Amino acid sequence: MKKKEIQNIIFNAIEMTNNMREDHRQIPLTETTELYGNNGHLDSMGLVAFLIDIEECLLDEELEITLSDEKAMSQSKSPFRNVQTLISYIDSCIKDLHHGN
Amino acid sequence: MAIKNILISGSSRGLGKELAEYFLEKGCAVYGCSRSERQIEHDNYHHFQLDIASQEQVSDFFFTLRKKIKYLDAVINNAGIASMNAFALTPVETYQKIFAVNVQGTFMMCQKALGLLKRADNPCIINMTTVAVPLQLEGESVYAASKSAVETLTKIIAKEYGGFGITCNAIGPSPIETNLIQGVPKEKIAKLIEKQSVKKMATPADVINLVDFFLRPESRMITGQIIYLGGISK
Repeated sequence: MKKKEIQNIIFNAIEMTNNMREDHRQIPLTETTELYGNNGHLDSMGLVAFLIDIEECLLDEELEITLSDEKAMSQSKSPFRNVQTLISYIDSCIKDLHHGN
Repeated sequence: MAIKNILISGSSRGLGKELAEYFLEKGCAVYGCSRSERQIEHDNYHHFQLDIASQEQVSDFFFTLRKKIKYLDAVINNAGIASMNAFALTPVETYQKIFAVNVQGTFMMCQKALGLLKRADNPCIINMTTVAVPLQLEGESVYAASKSAVETLTKIIAKEYGGFGITCNAIGPSPIETNLIQGVPKEKIAKLIEKQSVKKMATPADVINLVDFFLRPESRMITGQIIYLGGISK
């Protein structure tokens, strides 16, 4: 899967999140959007819902990836900080999946 | 209206089979699983043979299920095992087996189903507990302890995922004629029924009534509740 396709999946998940939010709490659809942590738009439960939406979209592509696992949580810098870091993290998970890790 | 997709574990016999047949009769699509082979023949019944205590098998099951359906209206975690023994005589293997099915199985089924549930209009999870928890029945320490864990999971899942519109409740049936109580002496069952407000043996229909209630869209404000049959309370 190309990074652009991963970005589209993330943007779709942001749109799903935005559908549930008031106008003044909309999350911008940009690569630099802060997601989680300092200045992030999502709290911990918001992040869980968001990651579940992404996992479901990846399953639509027959990619079974658990994003919020210990691997992600144990990283000193959260891969969920912003859209760009999340794209890179999903890309690495897909590569691991294809290499059978 | 879209067809309701219902997932029922332990659907090959007893209460699980009755629940599956009830929802098929109502026009739902039922996705049943059990360790044994399918016992229901119906166009809308889809059976999966697996052990819910196995992480790998549950994971594979949901991967396959995900290819068939895009949402789940309800997950009924009916599969469970019991064992009667004095606490001091209970082998640790029994403890491990009961917790693996009753607690870990319920945990994994709930966790894996979240994504599919989130896509339904009025999603709900129904877990099964037992009156052995509030009655603190002798001889059922491990079984009751495992169901206490299920009750706590139920309440916390309800809190965490209420924001997704997912309700999570548990039903504690009083004694019903199923395989689960086959090994329990008749006198013990009679004594147990004496402790109930409604001094009668329950039937699968009593449980189905409650499941049906939890599944109604009008029940969307009812979550994190543990309801015992027969008038037993904590």
